[in-house]
Amino acid sequence: MASRSITRPLGNDFYRLSGKRGLLRGRTLRIDAPLMFSLFCLAMYGLVVLFSASGENIADVERQAAAIVIAFVVMIGVAQFEVEFFRRGAPLMFVGGLGVLIVVLLFGSEVNGAKAWLDLPGLPSFQPSELEKFLVPMMLAWYMSKRSLPPRFRDLVVCALIILLPSALILLQNDTGTALMVVMSGIFVVLLAGISWRIVISGALLLVMASPAWYIFLAKAHQKNRILTFFDPYRDPTGAGYNIIQSQIAIGSGGIQGKGWLNGAQSQLDFIPESNTDFILAVLAEEFGLLGVLFLIALYLAVLARGFYIAVTAQDTFSRLLAGGIILTFFFYAFVNMAMVSGLMPVVGLPLPLVSKGGTSIVTLLTGFGILMSIHTHKRVLPR
Amino acid sequence: MAEKFKLDDHERETLIFNRRMIVAGVFIFLLISALVAWMVYLQVYRYDYFAARSDGNRLHSQYVPPNRGLIYDRNGVLLADNRPIFNLTVVRETASNLDVSLDLLRSVINLTDDDIEQYRTRQSRRAVPHTSVPLRYQLTEEEIANIAVNQHLLPGISVEAQLVRHYPFAEMSAHAIGYVSEINKDEMTAMSAEMAANYRGTHQIGKTGIEKTYENLLHGEVGYETVEKNNRGQVMRVLDRTDPVPGRDIVLHLDAKLQAAAAQALGDRRGAVVAIEPSTGGVLAMVSQPGYDPNLFVTGISRAQLAELNRSGHTPLFNRAIASRVPGSTIKPFIGLAGLYNQVITPETVIYDPGYFRMQGRSRPYYDWTWWVDKSGHGAIDLRRAIYQSCNTYFYQLAVDLGIEKIHDYLMTFGFGQNYAIDIPEASSGIVPNEAWKLANRGEVWYAGETPYEGIGNGIFQATTLQMASAAAAIANHGVLKQPRMLRGTVDNDGEITDVAFPDSAAQKQLLPSQEQIELVRNAMVDVVNKPYDPEHRRHEGSAYPVLRESGRPLEYPMGGKSGTAQVVQFQVDAAGNRDNGEVDERFRTHAMFIAFDASENSRIAVAVFVENGGGGGSVAFPVARAVLDAYLLPEQEFPELSAVSNGH
Repeated sequence: MASRSITRPLGNDFYRLSGKRGLLRGRTLRIDAPLMFSLFCLAMYGLVVLFSASGENIADVERQAAAIVIAFVVMIGVAQFEVEFFRRGAPLMFVGGLGVLIVVLLFGSEVNGAKAWLDLPGLPSFQPSELEKFLVPMMLAWYMSKRSLPPRFRDLVVCALIILLPSALILLQNDTGTALMVVMSGIFVVLLAGISWRIVISGALLLVMASPAWYIFLAKAHQKNRILTFFDPYRDPTGAGYNIIQSQIAIGSGGIQGKGWLNGAQSQLDFIPESNTDFILAVLAEEFGLLGVLFLIALYLAVLARGFYIAVTAQDTFSRLLAGGIILTFFFYAFVNMAMVSGLMPVVGLPLPLVSKGGTSIVTLLTGFGILMSIHTHKRVLPR
Repeated sequence: MAEKFKLDDHERETLIFNRRMIVAGVFIFLLISALVAWMVYLQVYRYDYFAARSDGNRLHSQYVPPNRGLIYDRNGVLLADNRPIFNLTVVRETASNLDVSLDLLRSVINLTDDDIEQYRTRQSRRAVPHTSVPLRYQLTEEEIANIAVNQHLLPGISVEAQLVRHYPFAEMSAHAIGYVSEINKDEMTAMSAEMAANYRGTHQIGKTGIEKTYENLLHGEVGYETVEKNNRGQVMRVLDRTDPVPGRDIVLHLDAKLQAAAAQALGDRRGAVVAIEPSTGGVLAMVSQPGYDPNLFVTGISRAQLAELNRSGHTPLFNRAIASRVPGSTIKPFIGLAGLYNQVITPETVIYDPGYFRMQGRSRPYYDWTWWVDKSGHGAIDLRRAIYQSCNTYFYQLAVDLGIEKIHDYLMTFGFGQNYAIDIPEASSGIVPNEAWKLANRGEVWYAGETPYEGIGNGIFQATTLQMASAAAAIANHGVLKQPRMLRGTVDNDGEITDVAFPDSAAQKQLLPSQEQIELVRNAMVDVVNKPYDPEHRRHEGSAYPVLRESGRPLEYPMGGKSGTAQVVQFQVDAAGNRDNGEVDERFRTHAMFIAFDASENSRIAVAVFVENGGGGGSVAFPVARAVLDAYLLPEQEFPELSAVSNGH
């Protein structure tokens, strides 16, 4: 019985494009409409903001739109795979991912100080480290699904290895932000797997106690600078603190209703640095005001809610952990960016998911959501 | 069995996972709440603050400098105008790598270390951030093209147009008009708050001459505009504007043609020429040679250029026209007038000149120039002949008879010993000595033996070329002295000239003998130039007449004059000031002087000429004075082409 249900895909009627079950059987597109709709709204909202943030540069918007189309195609494509495919392929993909990271370290090209990009002939250059954001949760979910939950201490050691191996390679690429995110995506899976609170709390305490030591002995000058700037942006208002000061001015001067699309003085007069990538929220907040920010947060929450629903209704440990890990990582991404741009957190170089300019980020994010859709649309009929 | 165990496990795992998801949900709720609260704080609670900051970022009040008033000569010829030049400017905040950019610039345009040093000084003085600071002025078209080609490699560097002062006559008009140059620190601190506000947008200020004297008239009032600037300091929009009020255009008494003629008459010699219109006191020409190109100073002279200017040792920046020096015999007509006014002599008073004057109780004689020629004198001589023959003995005697105090009092009324010019504040006062003056300035009592020298202008007395011209103009004007002045009027908006009315206190103050006696002195000065050789009497010709006759060109208008030769070291000279200076070191040669005037009833011009180490006043300075009068009085005179002069720059 179990073997049959594994091999035979059985879609949920509700999520099929067509209700004509018999006719389209086996050819049905497996997508999750609510999730897709929310993601589509986010992407469109992002394009509108990007048009303004790029100084009405239609070429930028077209490129981004092309990336979005590709990303949605990839997402739908990924959604057609069985969950089983991911489960079985997880170790191989993980090892493959590590291989690519090593290739990047050897042959990658450098952008903004991070040697994280791979230029393949005939393909747009991309950032393999982005893939780790779902490869690590996938590998962890695979490993956990082989064990019984909650994980024991020995399992945690293995988990730590799974997390730290790719993170270390990404750190070697000099891309601290992504490495941090990969670590977090792994930690989310471990947390969801039911790791004992005692370990979590002691780990957190250890981190808090170790951070001064890190700051004193290990932190690089620019990292220290970012932290000092976070606490007091005005210690160097035209240098290190400039970005955050200008970004806060943009956000604050947006008020409740905003200055109107294409009318943000801070944005249009180039006072916001990186206004179409990491700091795009400042443009949005200036031109669409608090209402625009709340709308953005609402869209993120809609995606988040659907992701939660998919994770909770998933049928097995692998699916659940993977879905939970991916959706929490996504939220964390969005939150960290918004918190950093508004000055609630030190600056780390992270884009605003689905809104910031950048093709790789959108494609990898939607690949993750493709996996989420796959989890939701390939369900087995379980014995009751 | 295995299957069942797995299912039990599965349920437990679901429970663990779901609980964890709830915890995550709570965390997310808290984080989102914090974020929303923070956004509300920024966008609602602190909206006013950030809105103000945002406006402060983009809105800039900037000053719009007024166009400086133009300077015209009496015939409407432009002496100073404003021309657009293209400057290379730097916005420091945007110039990401200035040193690299400067190196590149050095290879494509002419950019010296001096330019860069001056730029750094300006940069350090700049008060408003994100504003452009000049790096080099006056780019050529080729340089502009070279910069345009490399523009993408030169962040923060741009070419800006600016109106700056330009002097078409360059060297020729330098000492008359002066120049503007960059406002320096001292000038800035000396300004009142009100004036400083008016100069916010102004780069240059009048430094010397007319440009300095009439700075207030020429400058105008600053305008303001509120502009929106982007992060690179580029102006995106002008939101509000108050136009500046341009400076007033002014008209001078100066005659550009005459100025050119005077400069040409002096030639390469060092010296000065001042011409004055006797009826008004208006300065028609003021030349000091060597001159300099005032255009060099407008945008800041480089150290190399300044060194080049001073290399000759002939101090081109020094205005010889308003510097005082011993006047030699040119003072004699005024001493004569003093004698007449004080009734120490009459026109009929005759003295006997044996070739020297001997003071009572003194053994050492004061020699006449004739003594050095043939050990004789003029014999019986009256005032008129004493003037046209430039007899020293007569004036030694007269000076002694007058006494130093009366000489002092009388000369003061002719504008000597004070800067009598209305609008030439830089002019020297000269020296009119008396007992009090000597005690105060030299700490010595007046010796009676000094008085005779004051009678022939080789004592302590000093006057500027301007003062001599002005005094000559007074005689030409039948004794009425007009204060020298440069400004004639201002041009109003319709192009009409409004004459300025200076309060004229001169005429009332003057002490004059009778009109007849003035005419006697005036006629004696006409004799200086015109009285021919008397075949029956020796030494009855005018002292400048031999030079006039040698020139082969008779005068076409009545002319009066007086030569003077000021000794640098003690030498003896003949009546015309002739002396063979061939063997004397140039610096020890006598200074040649001549004052002259149009001797017609309504005199149109008086002139004073000074040639530094020139030699004799009659032989050297007289031809210069005549050339100036010719230029002004003869309608068909060939003048140097003005366009050729102005193209010289």
